[in-house]
Amino acid sequence: MFAWQFIDLFSLPSVQRSAIALAIAGIAMPIIGVFIIGLDVITVRFAVMHMALFGTAIGLWVGIDPTLCALIACVSTGLFLAPLSEKPGGLAGSMSFLMTISAAAALLVLSISGVNANGAFEILWGSILAVRRQDLALIIAIAICVLLFVAFTHRKLSILLFDRELAKCSGIRVGSLTAILLMLIAVSIGSSIRVTGALLVDSITLLPALGARNLATSLKSMIRWSVVLGLTGNAVGFVIALQLDLPPGPVLVLVAGAITLITYLATTRKRAADLVTH
Amino acid sequence: MTGPATISFEQVSVCFGNTVALDKVSFEVGAGQKIAVIGANGAGKSTLLRSLLGLISIDEGTVSVDGESARTSIDWMQRRLAVAYIPQRPSKGRFPLSVKELLGSSRNPEVSLSIGHDLGLSHLLEQSVSTLSGGQLQRCYVARGIGSLAGGACALVADEPTSALDFNGQKHVAQLLTEIPATLIVVTHERAVANNCDRVFEMASGVMREAGTS
Repeated sequence: MFAWQFIDLFSLPSVQRSAIALAIAGIAMPIIGVFIIGLDVITVRFAVMHMALFGTAIGLWVGIDPTLCALIACVSTGLFLAPLSEKPGGLAGSMSFLMTISAAAALLVLSISGVNANGAFEILWGSILAVRRQDLALIIAIAICVLLFVAFTHRKLSILLFDRELAKCSGIRVGSLTAILLMLIAVSIGSSIRVTGALLVDSITLLPALGARNLATSLKSMIRWSVVLGLTGNAVGFVIALQLDLPPGPVLVLVAGAITLITYLATTRKRAADLVTH
Repeated sequence: MTGPATISFEQVSVCFGNTVALDKVSFEVGAGQKIAVIGANGAGKSTLLRSLLGLISIDEGTVSVDGESARTSIDWMQRRLAVAYIPQRPSKGRFPLSVKELLGSSRNPEVSLSIGHDLGLSHLLEQSVSTLSGGQLQRCYVARGIGSLAGGACALVADEPTSALDFNGQKHVAQLLTEIPATLIVVTHERAVANNCDRVFEMASGVMREAGTS
């Protein structure tokens, strides 16, 4: 593609919306990824996806906005998981439990209500090139919430994600903070699936955070690195996809994966060099 | 600091399944008193400290600080602010945290940093806690504990706070802990620490008895 054709593409409102959505998601979602890694709830997205499907099914059945119902289901996921985080090994088991139960409940509701299952899935599964104005507004709202949350709770978050017991001993309300974190994670992931599609959620959320963990020495630096890596991955991936006329989802994932791998290799080499020096 | 507190255990029992970790333990530590708890591994020493902080559930009895027992989660939160804690196996965490941030998590970060400086941590402040050696990590938690005391905690409980330190480090920390103007319960295997305490208790199979005074 020629440069002028490429620039022309950016004059299209849908491409502009996608670019803005990716830029904003590139800031907020890697921070959510940092929370996910910190709480060790990497499989939470499966529980969230199924709960969102259940919410959508309920919405379609009773005639309430399915997206709103999906969001309520996501918030409920966070509320349900929070108390279980206190139990030993609680979150991993409860996420599997929630995933299985919500999937079964969603299918049952779809079956009873006679709603087309594909319709429910279509409401949930979005694409970055099909971002609507309301999707963009949702991403912006989530990004603001995430940034405000980090700004107001940064010190407490550092300790909570480092060690729950230390957080308890520091007078931090571990249960409430974990509940808010889980709700934020659930709503962000639920909304992102709707906006960007399931495949892209991992690349914009987890991969930058995983890369950042290789480079960071503190929560602050991990958040900074995750945002830098997230924005870089999204920008490079989106440009490559447009330039080569490839589907953006897989390209964004592969670019984010390559960046994560580079951070891993770079830090492994550095550690090896440090060992030799000492 | 709000002033040293009295700590009292009344008929406290803690069980893990069929294992009795604490068996009707009763004793009182006066305000500003320093006691050492000694005993074999698995005797219940760490459980004793953790039950004081509500980090494990008590099956029977009460643990009160200045006559106040904790019932609700808010009470326990206040208890953990009132009683500073140096854990037996300081956590390296599952997440990046710099030494400076760890010290900053105490109730008085300036004092923690200053004690950290005394304990030779100054050059490590920007380093991730996960890269520290066992001894360096233990020094961090000691500095943090003392900082919390300076920030308003009225007692300190320390679980083998010198176990990973070299000889000089043990002496230094033992001196720091036993000179602080606060109530102290320290679980230890080090004679240097126990000798500097007012009373020594011995635990065996969850039962506690006074072994003597220093």
